[in-house]
Amino acid sequence: MIDIFLSTYKFFLGATWLTLKLTLTSLFLGSCIGIIFAFFRLSKKKALNYLATIYINVIRGTPLIVQIAILYFGIANIVTLSPFWAGSLALAIHSGAYIAEIFRGLIQSIDKGQMEAARSLGMPYHLAMRRIVLPQAFKLAIPPLGNQFIIGLKDSSLVAYVGMQDLWGAALSEASSNFQQMNTYIIVGLYYLALVLILSYLVGKLEARLEVDSKNRPNRTFKNLFQFKTASS
Amino acid sequence: MICIKQLHKSFGSLEVLKGIDLTINKNQVVVLLGSSGSGKSTLLRCINFLEFYDQGEVWINNKKIDFHQTDLNKVREEVGMVFQHFNLFPHKTVLENIIEAPIYVKKMKKQEAEHTALELLAKVGLKDKAGEYPHMLSGGQKQRVAIARALAMEPKVMLFDEPTSALDPELVGEVLQVMKQLASEGITMVVVTHEMGFAKEVADQVVFMDEGKILEQAPPHVFFNQPESERSKKFLRRVL
Repeated sequence: MIDIFLSTYKFFLGATWLTLKLTLTSLFLGSCIGIIFAFFRLSKKKALNYLATIYINVIRGTPLIVQIAILYFGIANIVTLSPFWAGSLALAIHSGAYIAEIFRGLIQSIDKGQMEAARSLGMPYHLAMRRIVLPQAFKLAIPPLGNQFIIGLKDSSLVAYVGMQDLWGAALSEASSNFQQMNTYIIVGLYYLALVLILSYLVGKLEARLEVDSKNRPNRTFKNLFQFKTASS
Repeated sequence: MICIKQLHKSFGSLEVLKGIDLTINKNQVVVLLGSSGSGKSTLLRCINFLEFYDQGEVWINNKKIDFHQTDLNKVREEVGMVFQHFNLFPHKTVLENIIEAPIYVKKMKKQEAEHTALELLAKVGLKDKAGEYPHMLSGGQKQRVAIARALAMEPKVMLFDEPTSALDPELVGEVLQVMKQLASEGITMVVVTHEMGFAKEVADQVVFMDEGKILEQAPPHVFFNQPESERSKKFLRRVL
């Protein structure tokens, strides 16, 4: 196995970079989509609410591989997307549905009294949302978002089926030429494992920095992230 | 100052306010009494439009408020509210809690807002807590910060929704002390409370509510000594 590892690591590291690019692009876009649709779901406007409900149900109700295929092959007649963008967009639209539900739940979980207090001070709804509710919700979002990001990282392997040489794509083509399927797949599994462990570690760091776990001390938000801890805390 | 006419409010099939008429004059302290479920808090929340009433009129400063047309944010700027559960912003320090609305709503300069905030904190006896986060404070301290936060908007009237009900008994006094001080400064106040001592001592008018109606309205010495209705006599026997 070590000989395969040594003979493939250059190829696989390049593929790792592509997997990372895919994951980061799709999760960034997916988070944006998620936030927007979370607000649609919470909106009093019925049309927006329906739109978001349909989006979330359709995306959560169909396999990711189908979504990737539709985006890449299905709409090829209308617009041609490169495999990278077809893959990124499919992954973004997919994770966006789950992220929307995460954000919706968290915004609703913030005590109503917070919004009422802000409104009673004369703050308009959107200002109160932005300054008071969202900073508290975003902080609580880190553990479930971390979870969703791990899933997104692994789900990115499905873009191999539209011909991308990401980690899994590279593993498929490597195995078909060296005939060492078992060992090659184990090695590529270890690459994914390493990536996920690094991601988990970073999320854990972020949680500790923002003191997400402490219900009684919900005092740090992203603003504090780059400040040094004071002696009193 | 505030004039409420024939106010009706239902939650689903439950009618909580059944035609309330009430006038609150400038510099007056009005205390709303009544057992829970009598509609006191709902009435209070209708005055700053955290609840929308179904029928009736609310006049503030001789202006009829139509909540479809009037800019309610402007109305709320002039009506401060203190909540039972404080509702301080947990992610902001005491000082940041107080300067938030003056800066973002009144567009006050940060320095000026902080200056005012520190004066208000001194007034409620918490100047040394400016840099603390709410979770570091006791309930009584939290409520005093909440009062300072509402005062920072320089409201024309202050609403208190059971401000001491969530406090440990020994912390009630410090909050009532601050409220007495405000009353003595002539701030118009509407207070929902179960603190009879406060009502007796500070109120100009006591309003007794039962089942969504105002049963009695009188100065405290009249209400507490010669209650008119059977219902209020019964209520007073229980709470005194």
